[in-house]
Amino acid sequence: CGFQLRGSGDTALPFKSIYVGLPENSALGSELKRYIRADDHTQVVSDPKAAQVILDVLSESREKAILSLNTQGRIREYTLYYKLRFRVRDGQNKELIAPTDITLKRDISFNESAVMAKENEEALLYRDMQSDLVQQLLRRLHAIKSA
Amino acid sequence: AQEKQAGKDEKDETMTISAEQMTGRPDREVHLERDVEVTRGPMTINADKATYNILDDEVDAEGNIRMRRFGDRYTGDELKLKMDTGKGYVTNPTYSLERNGAAGSADRINFLTQDRATVVDGTYSTCEGPDPDWYLKASTLDLDSGRDVGFARTAIVYFKGVPVLGTPAMSFPLSGARKSGFLPPTIGTTNKGGLEVTVPYYVNIAPNRDLTFFPKIYAQRGIQWGGEGRYMGETYVGQTKVEALFNDRQTKTNRYAISSTQTHNFAPGFSYVWNINAASDDEYPTDFSRTITASSQRLLPRDLALNYAAPSGYWSAVARATNYQVLQDPLAPIVRPYDRLPQLTVQATRFDVNGFDWNLTSELTRFWHPELLRGDRFVVSPKVAYPFIRPGYFLTPRLSLNATRYHLDNVPAGSETELSRVLPTLSLDGGLVFEREAPFFGRPMTQTLEPRLFYVYTPYRDQSAFPIFDTAEADLSFAQLFSENRFVGNDRISDANQLTAALTSRYIEADGAERVRIALGQRFYFTEQRVTLGAARNDTRSDVLLSAYGRLTAALSAEGNLQYSQTQHKMSRSNFGARWNPAPKSVLNLVYRRDLLNNLEQAEVSGQWPLSRRWYGVGRVNYSLPDRTVAEGLLGVEYKADCWVFRIVGQRIPTSAAAATSALFFQLELNGLTRLGSNPLDVLRTSIPGYQVVNQPSNP
Repeated sequence: CGFQLRGSGDTALPFKSIYVGLPENSALGSELKRYIRADDHTQVVSDPKAAQVILDVLSESREKAILSLNTQGRIREYTLYYKLRFRVRDGQNKELIAPTDITLKRDISFNESAVMAKENEEALLYRDMQSDLVQQLLRRLHAIKSA
Repeated sequence: AQEKQAGKDEKDETMTISAEQMTGRPDREVHLERDVEVTRGPMTINADKATYNILDDEVDAEGNIRMRRFGDRYTGDELKLKMDTGKGYVTNPTYSLERNGAAGSADRINFLTQDRATVVDGTYSTCEGPDPDWYLKASTLDLDSGRDVGFARTAIVYFKGVPVLGTPAMSFPLSGARKSGFLPPTIGTTNKGGLEVTVPYYVNIAPNRDLTFFPKIYAQRGIQWGGEGRYMGETYVGQTKVEALFNDRQTKTNRYAISSTQTHNFAPGFSYVWNINAASDDEYPTDFSRTITASSQRLLPRDLALNYAAPSGYWSAVARATNYQVLQDPLAPIVRPYDRLPQLTVQATRFDVNGFDWNLTSELTRFWHPELLRGDRFVVSPKVAYPFIRPGYFLTPRLSLNATRYHLDNVPAGSETELSRVLPTLSLDGGLVFEREAPFFGRPMTQTLEPRLFYVYTPYRDQSAFPIFDTAEADLSFAQLFSENRFVGNDRISDANQLTAALTSRYIEADGAERVRIALGQRFYFTEQRVTLGAARNDTRSDVLLSAYGRLTAALSAEGNLQYSQTQHKMSRSNFGARWNPAPKSVLNLVYRRDLLNNLEQAEVSGQWPLSRRWYGVGRVNYSLPDRTVAEGLLGVEYKADCWVFRIVGQRIPTSAAAATSALFFQLELNGLTRLGSNPLDVLRTSIPGYQVVNQPSNP
């Protein structure tokens, strides 16, 4: 049916070095860098001036919105949002990817009797969204035409 | 005749004078008659007759005055203007401002400088035409285009010729920018407080800080004083909302609520976060359902945390204290959650040390409760993983250990006060990524196929004597299918000999954007699950999860999530939703959701739709199928005229087991007078996904 294992063709990232504009202790940043390093052809550099492409994270935000109430007026579901706005430019400041939003969401049930457990579960879902976001970012980076 | 004269002009701008007849004394004054036009820089004056006094650089004009200053236009009977300073006056004028299209007439306008003028006994309106739908009449009206602000004294606002608002003073912006001023007042009535009038006042302190005051009159209770401040700086961000109603006429008590959050990175690596919420009494959410404590919020957190993150990024620590105020509903009481006083967490992570990822989490918490079992819990959990990551596959073997120790305080006689548990967990997570080129609705795309397997082994350990401080079984989700513990929280570690299998397929556009995602997953148990929070379980497999999301066209997106139990042959949880957004300000959402565990089954329709050129309908109906009743409902219309918007919205929200609030709200927004861009009926935005304010440019 035409499916091939990724990596059997030319799947290297289309640049030799990248600067990731996220703080050193950002969990999103470490996960992303780890996947970029998995590509032997591309280096993650710590100086934007030395990078062939620069990933600017314009905003990273988490939001929690009420999704449903029961007939007693109690919250029974929330939606968690993880939003990232980013752009990619090359060393000459030419925009390779214009500012783009990626929004991920997960629904989580809620019950007052398990409020602390739900706090842990939210953390689990945010970590899951973070991994999802890393994969989506990598695919955008792969799609850059020529840096 | 025409004459050019450099004159006494410090700015070296050329003055042009023309008229059919010109007489005068050289270098003193010029008398101009018929079709007079005087131009200098951005200023042009036309009149029947004028005198230009060269020494004073002043024009005196009369008869059919027409003047342009920058883009602003004036007419009048008589005008006197110093050309250099812009000081002067015009009598019986009309005016129109370029920036916001505002216009009016007056007895007199005094020009103070090039960009400041005072309109005396005049009117002001942003409506076009000679007979405006609304206008403001003021004894004096200061227009300051430099500061972009208008200020009216002794003002009366007329709508359709009827006076609707009188005020000794008011200010408003001369453009659509964020400026201090009144927000559109809201008038309404609810079954809880009778007539309600809110007149918010917005103070724009700086681009990164503002204040909103919203005094609200409840006819049956009194005046509620409310305020909200928002601020943001390089290292901090915060927001505080306070509201208070002193001596509520119905309860004879003071009613108040506060909500405050702040995050501050106060030193390199160090930050603190606070999130403080409080309300005066249990009935607060029922009686003031549209305010800080949304009616649904019956657990108000108080959370204080001090964080340290090492500059190396390798480790971090958090000291935290939390507790909850419970606003009890007597018909549906809530068990009070434990206080954490305090919780200390240290976490260390190193990635890729010769290929190994290391992680250590440790946590010490003192759980306190007025009635239930109290105690300290200490958890240490080291993990080591050796991930292989390649573009086409990944494989991660991981070994972890969870060591937990309890010291319990107020145990029943004869019970243990010291409990401990050490459990190792081994897991193996692996997946493949296949790709092919596959067109989707005629567009070239890449389709992926991603099978993934996740095996976990954790030996059984009897934990039935352990307290439950902060632990529950997690919702079944894809994130949960790929975690090692079936529980969230550290009081229970599930025994496991289980395999999760999942298959994901995506359609990816040429620029890397994900267009469609379909995922299927299930967990298979090879042994009985002996650690439980309820009855023992001997399932051989978990519910099946199926999830799909797709942006089918630019206007239509749909999603669906199913959790199906093969053993009980029923749908444990499901939701389906579609959004159709064919044009700006036209959105329709359809949602069905069901959750057996929470006894929830709802169908929901919400949307905003243009009914005609000027009428927009807004609505949301959330129908509870088991109760056969509308859980939440909102219905309204908005009328958008050229220079004003009228909204009427009716709403019903359940606030407790026995009560619901029904409310009807009206709002008249006068463009350019009450600040644009604010919608005090915030409820529209939160209730209707995709809602757009009707008198704003269309932009999501």
